[in-house]
Amino acid sequence: MAGLVSGLRKRPPKYSAAALAWKGLRGQSWPRVWRDCDLKRSYDAVVIGGGVHGLATAYYLARNHGMTDVAVLDKAYLGSGGSGRNTAIVRSNYLTPEGVAFYDRSVHLYEQMAVELNINVMFSQRGHLTLAHSDASLRTMHWRAEVNKLGGVNSSVIGPDEIKKECPSLDTSDHPRYPIQGALYHPPGGVVRHDAVVWGYARAADHMGVETHQKTEVTDIVCEGGDGPDGKGAGGRVTGVRTNRGDISTPIVINCTAGWASLISTMAGVRLPITTHPLQAAVTEPVKMFLPTVVVSGSLHVYVSQTDRGELVFGASVDPYANYSVRGSLEFTEGLAGHVLELMPGVSRMRILRQWSGLCDMTPDYSPVMGFTPVDGFLVDVGWGTYGFKAAPVSGEQMAEAAATGRTPKLIEAFALSRFEGGELVGEKGAASVGH
Amino acid sequence: MTMSRQGVQPNEVIDRSTKLRFRWNGKRFSGFEGDTIASALAASGEQIFSRSMKYHRPRGILTADYWDPNLMVQVGDDPNVRAGHRLLEGGMDVRSQNAWPSLNRDIKAANRFLGRFLTAGFYYKTFMRPQWLWPTYERVLATFAPGGKIDLDTPHAYHDKRYTHPDVVVAGAGPAGIEAALAASSAGASVLLVEHEHAVGGHLRYSSDAADQADLAELRAALEASDIEVLTNSTMTGRYEDNWLGIVQRNHPVAVERLIKARAKTLVVAPGLIERPYVFEGNDRPGVITSGAARRLVNLWGIKPGERAVVFSANAEGDAAAADLERVGTEIAAVIDGRAGGRISSTTGSSRAVEAVMVAGPNGAQRIEADVLVVAAGWTAPTSLLNMAGDRPVYDPAAARFFPSDPPSIVLATGGLAGDGDLDGLRRHGADTGRLAASRAAAVRHRLQARTARAAPVNGDEPAWAPDERPPLGRDPHPELYRADTHGMVDMSEDISSKDLVAAAHEGYDSVELAKRYTTATMGPSQGKLETVNTVAAIAEARGETISEVGTTVWRPPFAPITLGALAGRMFEPVRVSSIHPWHEANNVSVIQAGQWLRPDHYGDPQAEVRNVRRNVGLIDVTPLGKLDLRGPDVPKLLSLLYVNKWMKLGIGRVRYGMMCAEDGVVLDDGVTGRLGEDHYMMSTTSSGAGGVWEWVENWLQTERPDWQVHVTPVTTAYASINVAGPKSRELMSRVCEGVGLDAEAFPYMTVRDATVAGVTGCFMWRIGFTGELSFELHVPAGHGLHVWEALMEAGSDLGVGPFGLEGQRIMRLEKGHFIVGQDTDGLTLGPSTGMGSLIKLDKDDFAGKPELAWAADRSLPMVVAIQPDDPDVVPEEAAQIVRGDTNEILGRITSSRHSPTLNRSICLGQVEPDLAAGGTKLTVLLESGERISATVIDHHAHFDPAGERLRG
Repeated sequence: MAGLVSGLRKRPPKYSAAALAWKGLRGQSWPRVWRDCDLKRSYDAVVIGGGVHGLATAYYLARNHGMTDVAVLDKAYLGSGGSGRNTAIVRSNYLTPEGVAFYDRSVHLYEQMAVELNINVMFSQRGHLTLAHSDASLRTMHWRAEVNKLGGVNSSVIGPDEIKKECPSLDTSDHPRYPIQGALYHPPGGVVRHDAVVWGYARAADHMGVETHQKTEVTDIVCEGGDGPDGKGAGGRVTGVRTNRGDISTPIVINCTAGWASLISTMAGVRLPITTHPLQAAVTEPVKMFLPTVVVSGSLHVYVSQTDRGELVFGASVDPYANYSVRGSLEFTEGLAGHVLELMPGVSRMRILRQWSGLCDMTPDYSPVMGFTPVDGFLVDVGWGTYGFKAAPVSGEQMAEAAATGRTPKLIEAFALSRFEGGELVGEKGAASVGH
Repeated sequence: MTMSRQGVQPNEVIDRSTKLRFRWNGKRFSGFEGDTIASALAASGEQIFSRSMKYHRPRGILTADYWDPNLMVQVGDDPNVRAGHRLLEGGMDVRSQNAWPSLNRDIKAANRFLGRFLTAGFYYKTFMRPQWLWPTYERVLATFAPGGKIDLDTPHAYHDKRYTHPDVVVAGAGPAGIEAALAASSAGASVLLVEHEHAVGGHLRYSSDAADQADLAELRAALEASDIEVLTNSTMTGRYEDNWLGIVQRNHPVAVERLIKARAKTLVVAPGLIERPYVFEGNDRPGVITSGAARRLVNLWGIKPGERAVVFSANAEGDAAAADLERVGTEIAAVIDGRAGGRISSTTGSSRAVEAVMVAGPNGAQRIEADVLVVAAGWTAPTSLLNMAGDRPVYDPAAARFFPSDPPSIVLATGGLAGDGDLDGLRRHGADTGRLAASRAAAVRHRLQARTARAAPVNGDEPAWAPDERPPLGRDPHPELYRADTHGMVDMSEDISSKDLVAAAHEGYDSVELAKRYTTATMGPSQGKLETVNTVAAIAEARGETISEVGTTVWRPPFAPITLGALAGRMFEPVRVSSIHPWHEANNVSVIQAGQWLRPDHYGDPQAEVRNVRRNVGLIDVTPLGKLDLRGPDVPKLLSLLYVNKWMKLGIGRVRYGMMCAEDGVVLDDGVTGRLGEDHYMMSTTSSGAGGVWEWVENWLQTERPDWQVHVTPVTTAYASINVAGPKSRELMSRVCEGVGLDAEAFPYMTVRDATVAGVTGCFMWRIGFTGELSFELHVPAGHGLHVWEALMEAGSDLGVGPFGLEGQRIMRLEKGHFIVGQDTDGLTLGPSTGMGSLIKLDKDDFAGKPELAWAADRSLPMVVAIQPDDPDVVPEEAAQIVRGDTNEILGRITSSRHSPTLNRSICLGQVEPDLAAGGTKLTVLLESGERISATVIDHHAHFDPAGERLRG
């Protein structure tokens, strides 16, 4: 049955209030958001990882470059990795001019997304406060604000009184152990419904002909001509991938995984300077809305926002040890609770409902690895650390351009794998370590 | 359905002689001691307790326990309180949540007419245009956020934490759990028994059977006679690696809640079973209750659930519920036997009460009038704690529930979670489990003790690892009852129906995880305890697969929600001050927060403090400077590895400046290290780097160079540190020091000496000069810090001695051009960028950051330079950007800036692009106001005394 469906693509119905009303009145159901296809023997390109980076890459390959014979493979379900585990914060108030330009483009794409993908991703630009509890962090906030302003990004340093106005729930008095001295305020920052972004890209890519394959695990990458065993490694080229559902031949493989990026790349004989760390998060029971902005405190290692459903969503910095486990720890929730109560003593009676963790691929300079590798046809979009979600649209756009044209777009030149050979680190280290 | 209090029941938990008055939505109510909030309200005839999330449907009692999704209320400033579990207290102010203007008349109940449009995930499909309206849509959607209200003025009341290390921890004090605890204790294990409910006994508590009650009495007596620690009204919220357990104790006499962190050698999981609701049309109508709810209402609180009941029973608990109802005078209109193929298909009535039950029959549905429908449709196995131990439960269609598969050998399941049996069978399995747990705990204890360094050896061999020879519990057959022939609510807290789930699956969200995320089923406050299996069943049905094929979602911690207050505990956040701090406080100090430290920033006029140091002599308390005492023959190797410069030939009594870089070549810290003796060194670090550098040193020693003989002791707070700076500092020091020559020959710049200062022995001091003045940095045993400081102040009164704070020091170091790591450098600043490139010795064998620094040597890097604004009265902000002319192209930034009292002009340090680093280069600085000013790079970092004549003096 699945085989029949592929190929038969009608123009899918658009989502709208009118369509919702019409279908509601007539009791009609909605068609599938994406097809369930048989795996073909060959594709023009294979994307490994059905998260937001992989799906965005596939979407832009189809939309901007007309490449629709593309398969996105995921070993579990769409959005099962970091895409569904992050805290969904989007912002562009980075520290380096390169970072600002890159994420500004991403924010722009997020702003257009609901209309472009025809799915409400609920991008809530509610404002983003990065709190400073010390002279030193206040100085960094000023620095970031200045760089942001020059990059055309709305960002400024505000004092405790203005913070209280934007976010009355914060304790801006001098009672806390580390009183809030100021904040970097970034009005366009906010949160987005992360799953909807995943589904939106998957649905839109599917409509243009891209195939998504869930429960499809890549077991090997087939190469020839490389200097390593089995033709893998530098100087070679990709010819296909092996999966638990059969082999695929393809000239282009794009590794868009997180948590396993280094293991997947090793399948092509490409070594990445990546270590994998868990990042923990938690969510509380819902209460009526009281927290209007996203709040980040670097010194207290916590970021928090309230979802439209009323839950508080918390995250922190990565665990200090490398690990592939996605189980949470008790100590994380204890530390988190203490820090949140420092910021908002009034939430002492709120209850943590669920904790989880995701895997973050950390690079030495806290910046991603994007673009070509020494193996021809094997591209990477990896090493996204703790900040991959907010970069997904622009990454997909740029990776698609790289894969389709064979040239590295200017916006991602600085993120090439080759930088590690000459020590040309880019680094958002100063801004990104806990800066959500 | 109107519930009402009946005559005394044999096992009731209420004390009818103690009446408690409380308020419900502002009105006066009363209940008895032992009532839960919900039972007190039910006994008073209340039928509606909450409104549902999306459609604002009136909701009544469903399960009458902690997991009841319909019984979430606000108690005072405490939101989302489980009224089915929280005991009633006199004076409570209880309010309903999620209803406006009142629970009885809720405007948003109009949403039920929109139900067909508000299908799961409808919000993804609309509100997209016009884009500018989205913030308004969002605000409206946000008003649907369920739950209670928090009061931002709620103080963080007293919470506490406790650590314990029992041999065996048992989660769940039903008959199997109690037997496990008793058996483990008899076998010599220390045992902690944790029960979520307010009393031990599990399902026996609400049994009316005399034999059950005799068993319960016997078990209670045995527990009391044992030395088992029993915690009731306490929940095991999580099981983490190696049986690290989180337990919340809610009945502590003093603390509001106490988080108990237990390391158990073995864990027995005995949570029993949670009754599963049944899905059919009208299954959320007030009056539809589970059999457990019926039994609890009757037996614990003496409440008659209704006048006329239909009982849908597929198991013995359902049958017992029917008997309980009959006993309190509820007319049993019909018992529909689910085992014999009987089925109900819907309820009818108003939105607030059941009026009749539609029963499926061979000749179509039959209507039976009733005001209460009791449903006993099966069980959910709360495998949560086993999930957290890595176990993936397996579904058994014959028993219609999940069972543990293969938990780790230090985690043992018993009771209803593990299988079925009569009471004797469950007790036997519990006892077997307790013995096995104790035996394995003994083996674990032996292994741990043998591994731990101790004075006396551990006696005997490790006990053998006991094999699991427990006769397994049976599995009673149970019909697979998930959904009737109609659709109904699956997730009551989220208002998700089986129709929504089927629609989601058809749309392509057809795995449990996708459907869960798309519909939000199982994401609400009960976290799947009631609704997971029904969710899975709905997806399985839509896909035409079995429950086993669809699988289940992963239950993550916590088992039951846990307050932030309990997790935070007492919030221990130390404040650090030096032993000299009382003097500062008595002398008009203005303090600054520096990490955990409170430090003197200034004493009124920092500019005057600077002038006094430059003219006379000043004292600054620099106690927070990191100090690491390093001993051992391999210290020079360690220093060579961690600093970029050379250290193998530092003579005794010499001090050297060093810079540390991380492995990426970025500046990590700097400071001086002195050699105090043959194998004895003292390393100083920046104040903010004290903790990090210690970890950095230990990390290298422990993971990379465990063979080196170096012993590291952080002594930051063992010494009070005082910098005595200024042209008259030598004169001042000579008045208080004994046994050490102070002239430039006896004690030259960059050397260290032991000394007795103001009568205090065991001091050391070094001659260095961050301020650029002749200065002596004194380190005195911390307890004598205040004495030495006061002695210096007194001895130097005729010399004009005065204190100076951090601000004065910052000005002077800036005048001198000394950079501060983390201020003038950042997370990208490589060693050579500081202008200290010559310090980096690439000819050393190895050191942290060498490969990166070797690459960096061939590149032109941004540089730290000294900058002076051309207008001496303008002080650019620290963060002001250096730009190219009138463009927005960033070429660098100001990192430090001050007005210099010595030069009477503004001075800066900054980072600039390599081609702007030469002295004399003109720069454009963009002030935060938007104004652009011109400035000039100067030849040296030092704005003042570049030759360093003053500090060498």
